[in-house]
Amino acid sequence: MTTVSASGAYLEVQGLMKWFGSDRAVDDISFSLPKGQFLTLLGPSGCGKTTTLMSIAGLHGIDAGVIRVGGTVYTSKADGIFLPPEKRDIGMVFQSYAIWPHMTVKQNVAYPLEIRKVERREIDARVADVLRLVGLADMSEKLATQLSGGQQQRAALARAIVSRPRLLLFDEPLSNLDLKLREQMRVELKRIQHEVGITSVYVTHDQAEALVMSDEIIVMSKGRIQQKGGPHQIYARPINAYVSNFIGVANLLKGRVVGVTAPGRGDVEIAEGGHRVKLSCQLGEGVAMGEEAVVSVRPENVHAERVNGGGQRLEGEVLQAIFLGNYVDCRVRWGEFEWKVLAHPRDRLREGEKVYLRLDPEHTLAVQQ
Amino acid sequence: MSVQTLPGTAADAPTTSRWRSLITQESVATLIVSVLVGAAVLLPLFTLVVSSFLVLDPGGFDTAWGFDNYKTLFTDRIIPRAFVNTLLISTGSTIVATVLGVSLAWINARTNCPWRDRLEPYNLIPFFLSPFVGAIAWHNLASPKTGLLNAWARHYLGIEGYLINVNNIYGVIWVTGIFFTPLVYLFVVGSLRRMDPSLEDSARTTGAGLVRTTMTVTLPLVAPGILSGAIIVFVTSAGEFGVPFKLSAPYGWETLTTQIFSKAVGDDANHYLGATMSMALGAITAFFIYVQQRYIAPRSFTTVTGKGFRPNVIDLGRWRWVAFGYNVAFILVAVVLPILCLFIVSLHPVWTAEIIPSDMSFRNYEKTLFFWRPDAIQAATNGIFNSLILAFAGASIAMVLSLVVSHMIHRTKGFGSRVLDFLCVVPIGFPGIVLAMGVLVTYIKTPIYATLWILLLGYITRFFPYGQRNIASVMLAISEELDQSSRMAGASWLTTLRRITIPLLKPGIFAGWVLLFIIFLRELSISIILYTSGTETLSVGVYYLTNFENEPLTSALSMAQTVMLLICILIFRRVAGREALTA
Ligand SMILES: Nc1ncnc2c1ncn2[C@@H]1O[C@H](COP(=O)(O)OP(=O)(O)OP(=O)(O)O)[C@@H](O)[C@H]1O
Ligand SMILES: [Mg+2]
Repeated sequence: MTTVSASGAYLEVQGLMKWFGSDRAVDDISFSLPKGQFLTLLGPSGCGKTTTLMSIAGLHGIDAGVIRVGGTVYTSKADGIFLPPEKRDIGMVFQSYAIWPHMTVKQNVAYPLEIRKVERREIDARVADVLRLVGLADMSEKLATQLSGGQQQRAALARAIVSRPRLLLFDEPLSNLDLKLREQMRVELKRIQHEVGITSVYVTHDQAEALVMSDEIIVMSKGRIQQKGGPHQIYARPINAYVSNFIGVANLLKGRVVGVTAPGRGDVEIAEGGHRVKLSCQLGEGVAMGEEAVVSVRPENVHAERVNGGGQRLEGEVLQAIFLGNYVDCRVRWGEFEWKVLAHPRDRLREGEKVYLRLDPEHTLAVQQ
Repeated sequence: MSVQTLPGTAADAPTTSRWRSLITQESVATLIVSVLVGAAVLLPLFTLVVSSFLVLDPGGFDTAWGFDNYKTLFTDRIIPRAFVNTLLISTGSTIVATVLGVSLAWINARTNCPWRDRLEPYNLIPFFLSPFVGAIAWHNLASPKTGLLNAWARHYLGIEGYLINVNNIYGVIWVTGIFFTPLVYLFVVGSLRRMDPSLEDSARTTGAGLVRTTMTVTLPLVAPGILSGAIIVFVTSAGEFGVPFKLSAPYGWETLTTQIFSKAVGDDANHYLGATMSMALGAITAFFIYVQQRYIAPRSFTTVTGKGFRPNVIDLGRWRWVAFGYNVAFILVAVVLPILCLFIVSLHPVWTAEIIPSDMSFRNYEKTLFFWRPDAIQAATNGIFNSLILAFAGASIAMVLSLVVSHMIHRTKGFGSRVLDFLCVVPIGFPGIVLAMGVLVTYIKTPIYATLWILLLGYITRFFPYGQRNIASVMLAISEELDQSSRMAGASWLTTLRRITIPLLKPGIFAGWVLLFIIFLRELSISIILYTSGTETLSVGVYYLTNFENEPLTSALSMAQTVMLLICILIFRRVAGREALTA
């Protein structure tokens, strides 16, 4: 049976490098993932997500590093080990679904089992099982070309999990679907993954998808890892301005740490928008006294109030207030800086109005540039 | 559901050592195929270069190194003139084929010419037929004395002598031109058809008229296609052997190909001089193909900005009947008339430019086809057998090779793929007769000489790139992820090839197979260099009959070949559909 290394990691990637010519598509990436967890690689186009996934899948060689699954070395550049993809026992769902058009849904899903020489009767049973799981039970005789996008995607998922592989890989499986279907499939996919309990690595550039589905998120940029953590942590405690900006929306102000009041707390002097103020902040990792930092505040953590109630307040003028039903999307001018603020419709902020922005020190975060 | 690991998968796999991991089905196949293709393509060319510097002494026994062969190219009595004739013929037939090809493509793709969709397949028929047979037909139609048209002109119009004469380079230009018209057509029609209509519309909205828009927008956009087609015709004409051999060489207009041929065969054969002439011809054609591949072909894609457009159809008004007449006239002249003439001639015991119904019989077919009869002509009956064997085996082997090579070029994407990609273009740069000279000098001292194997080798080497292109165009349209997901599902490279790749490529594979079958069934310029008694091919049989027997017998075998080719065209259209050729 599978062995699990001492750290409890099931999938381990160490020092992964992949070059295309002089282009470092993946540049020294390391991470590990416990069994049964769902990890998302998140980043903008071209940051090396697919390349990382392909390296794990063994669909191409790597230039440095080790990839291990359940204690078995899959690829190790230093030891010259490269397990061919078909020996890796990995299920994969591609962006184009890659449902074979010359086979029926059932034939598609049965394929991995046929390759593994499973008995015919067991194949039928397991295919029926898994088709039921993904909700395609009555589509099994259809040709792949007769399926809708969402159905193709379910078939691809069924094919990936039917052999109960050690690892599931997803490369932007939802990006070809329309918004509504995509939102529905996110939940569905997560449910199925949870049910089968297969360790999964998921690639996307859609931050909402990452937040909804993942146990762990890795934010990547230019072939490197920016931050790894749970969805909540990534959102609430981004490690730097890049992550903060990539996940959700944030007000980012440049400044310098001028005082440390308690461990992990301090004052940052802002010189932005023609103002010079000191904000009391949470200090993120690697932010120390005297250093340059970026203050990041989520729009929902900026409170616009008509009266100056004291404390950490900034005086500004409402530039724009767009009513979106359950909230109001505001822009507030503060010198030359524009704050993004999420206000409650009850507040009835109007354009041109003078407001005081209250920043809660608990949710005002100073991070690395 | 719990996660179980299946037996025989990663968990049990022993750690693979460094050298073991290098030996995979894929890498072994890549290596073998690369070496095979490399050897097949480069060895003949290399030997050709080497032997062009070998000078035969006057006695014909010994050789020495030197440049004398190259000097002979300039000092010989015939070769310089043959060189000039080749250039004239190529230029002339390029002009004929380009004018005809572009106009027909434009009529069929962009105007409301009646029944244009029905006419298109007939416009393309010459593409599949043998130009050599076309030359024979035109000889019977328009040679001064025994040409049917000239006989009619004398009889009905009272003309003295003759009306038209194809026994000169103009005849060669004419026949080559109409036979290669479909080449230009195919290069142009795709971009005409798929051109984004908004490109033209936006020109029209600026106030430019129809003619002006066609001249300033449409034609420049298809110019790369036209140029590509023209270059291919130029090169193919330069390498064409059958037409000048039949129409002009006997009347004093030699070309490089007919000269290479007369140096390569016969009692006073000088292979080394033949190799040198081949070098000269090959240098020209390779240069043009290089220019076409490197600079022109990449541009022709920019005119196509996506698919699914309905191109603007231009209303020609009453002129559409003129377009229709023009189109039909081409079909009559290029296809119907020659075939009809061949058939009529083939029914006569001797041909005197006079149709004598009472003399007609199928005697000639019996002598050329019925191999079991004692009076059957061996060269003809052998030719049919050998060509069928060669076409079947050649097309099959070439398609297997093409499949693996395409897979390596478009899926593996390593250094090897770039080398293979290059190797697949090289044979296209050299006319069959040049490559055949290379094959001849390379293998003449090996046991495969004087067998069908050497012909097979020559055929496959020269023509497998066509099959490769057919597969590649389908492969590029199929997502690589379809293959990859099979690997991920646990299938090995070979299993993936067998169960996923090949079934998906089936249409491309079969279309390529039939195309190669057709090409091999009519092949002449390689066969004529490499055949020996017993290994004649169909076209060599025709050559034999035209040289040593009479026109009616020649026409009979030509007809047989033409009918076989027409059947193949039907099959090809069935399996490949209309877009297959234009891709
Ligand atoms: N086969 C290849 N040859 C050359 N360069 C490549 C190749 N594949 C990827 N790259 C390069 O590597 C980098 C990372 O590519 P990758 O496909 O991993 O990005 P990605 O994060 O998956 O982006 P996307 O979200 O657009 O899919 C890019 O700069 C890309 O240009
Ligand atoms: Mg990608």
